[in-house]
Amino acid sequence: MWRYLFSRITLFMATSLVMVAVLFMASGQFPVSKAYSLSGVQYPTLEQQQQIDQDYQLHDNQLLQFTAYLRQRLSGNFGISSNSQQEVLEELEAVLPASFELSLFSGFIAVFFGVPIGVLAALGNNKALQRSILAITLTGYSIPVFWLGLTLSMWFGVNLGWLPISGQINLLYEIEPVTGFMLVDTLLSDSSYRIPAFHDALLHLILPAVTLAVLPFTLVVRITRQAILNVMNQTYIRAAEARGLHTAKILLRHVLPNALIPVIKSIGLMLGSFASYGIVVEVIFSWPGVGSWLVSGIYQRDYTVIQAGILAVSLLIIFLSILIDLLHTAINPMSRKELYASN
Amino acid sequence: MPRIKIYQEDHIASPMWRMWQTFSANPFAVIGLWAVIFLLILTIFAPFIAPYSAEMQDQQVLLLPPSWDPAGTVEHFLGTDDLGRDIFSRILHGVQLTFGMSLLIVAASLIFGFVIGSLSGMMHGIKSSVLSHLLDALLSIPSLLMAILVVAVMGPGLNNVFWGVGIAMVPQFVRAIHLAVHEELQKEYVTAAKLDGANSLQVFWYVIMPNVWDVVIIQVTMAISAAILDIAALGFLNLGAQAPSPEWGAMVAQGLDNLLLAPWTVTIPGVAILFTVLSVNLVGDGLRSALAPIRN
Repeated sequence: MWRYLFSRITLFMATSLVMVAVLFMASGQFPVSKAYSLSGVQYPTLEQQQQIDQDYQLHDNQLLQFTAYLRQRLSGNFGISSNSQQEVLEELEAVLPASFELSLFSGFIAVFFGVPIGVLAALGNNKALQRSILAITLTGYSIPVFWLGLTLSMWFGVNLGWLPISGQINLLYEIEPVTGFMLVDTLLSDSSYRIPAFHDALLHLILPAVTLAVLPFTLVVRITRQAILNVMNQTYIRAAEARGLHTAKILLRHVLPNALIPVIKSIGLMLGSFASYGIVVEVIFSWPGVGSWLVSGIYQRDYTVIQAGILAVSLLIIFLSILIDLLHTAINPMSRKELYASN
Repeated sequence: MPRIKIYQEDHIASPMWRMWQTFSANPFAVIGLWAVIFLLILTIFAPFIAPYSAEMQDQQVLLLPPSWDPAGTVEHFLGTDDLGRDIFSRILHGVQLTFGMSLLIVAASLIFGFVIGSLSGMMHGIKSSVLSHLLDALLSIPSLLMAILVVAVMGPGLNNVFWGVGIAMVPQFVRAIHLAVHEELQKEYVTAAKLDGANSLQVFWYVIMPNVWDVVIIQVTMAISAAILDIAALGFLNLGAQAPSPEWGAMVAQGLDNLLLAPWTVTIPGVAILFTVLSVNLVGDGLRSALAPIRN
């Protein structure tokens, strides 16, 4: 296991390095001067220009420039946003928690509802119910997320007027950011309106989270169903049935732990498209997260914001997918065996 | 001279034929197949079928509802948008941009992914791992972010969608083909072929590939539906196809201003995307379940 952990950490380092290299090469190709695209200062004074040249070693060769770039980014210098003149790192820290809140919540919805429905689709006796679950998941998988978001906000936000359709919380409430998670912050704040504010934040979260949850939900249902059908054919299930165990016990003790292993793996593979969908959802619902920040960055040609946003999101995805890979190996000794056999 | 039947047994169907039989036994898959064929025909002939050109503006009929509405007319079957452009014609022209473009992207990235994936799959040790893991970095950039990066470098436009989505899609093909080839390479029938003296090219093409094609086919159908959704999402975010273009995602974005007044300008392109992706997914699902018994 330690050897595996070590190889995964090496892989993380190598992949992140390639990622930074790709970004470095892309930032050299932006249609502006290199000093501007790296630092975000459009009209630098002489001193600033010298500082930038020195920081990024712009007069040296590409390799030294790359190491300088890497050093700057690792030390947390992402330059300033040419649009707001703020430090990019500060802005990134402000928008990341909102994205986490949204994606955690919708991931939770997807797993919480997806797994039981997947079980139902695999084991239920009602053929019509199973078919309709499959049909619904296939449709959910094919629906364009921006259209779904618009339609949901039309119905529930405008026509019915049940749910707010933009932002993270009503602007009337003034909440001091502590953790950045609005749900937690409202509860932590010591104002008199913290309970209504929490309620309001929760209502704001529902529509974007449900829209974003549709893709992972459908995948979780389908994969859970497939995995359970596979597991049910195994001999140890028949053995458990032969011993006269109760169905619920077989399901909870023998089927689900084995069936959830491929589900975990598929969650790791899904992260990329989940992030893509998250960006679109954030834009539609004006959610103040990384996605809408990044998209407004591209509209305003804010090159430092684009680099920082892409770097942050893809590093997160690399990290999480390797983490899920590790988790998958830790709980599933079979895959470890395959791993050693292949070497 | 009639063929003489020597053997008592029935004709043994080829794997391809058996696959087709399983596939056609699933009515949903067949419906999906017909829909995809229909879309392919539209991709070629849509400009000749469409009653109006995609950009023609008729100032007399702004925001006309679809024909089944009492206020609608049959001349504009699906109604018109805020500039008086016929939505039916725009949808037809958009087939080429959204569906046709996705086919192009998938074909291009399949070729690249196939070459790199099979090379790295056939190789051993450090070379193989460098080739396959180098692309892991690209795999971790979501296609939308990749497209944003490409747009930042080259500016928005439909051509750059090709590059953005394509670059993001190549690693997926590489990965799938690499894994499949590598897995087959460990099996005993491959060793047998090697002992018979087949060189590695022969092993690859005649021994391994027949067992890898199904992975490629499944990956292609998944990639097509992902590509359609990506193209449309980029069009919607105004990073892909630009405003007058009848690309479906861009049409949704253009209809957004009149969402409350004329919801059909958003609904109809959305339904078109849903229909296309759904039919591709139905075919993909059918293929997957038809190939499953052969794979196991």
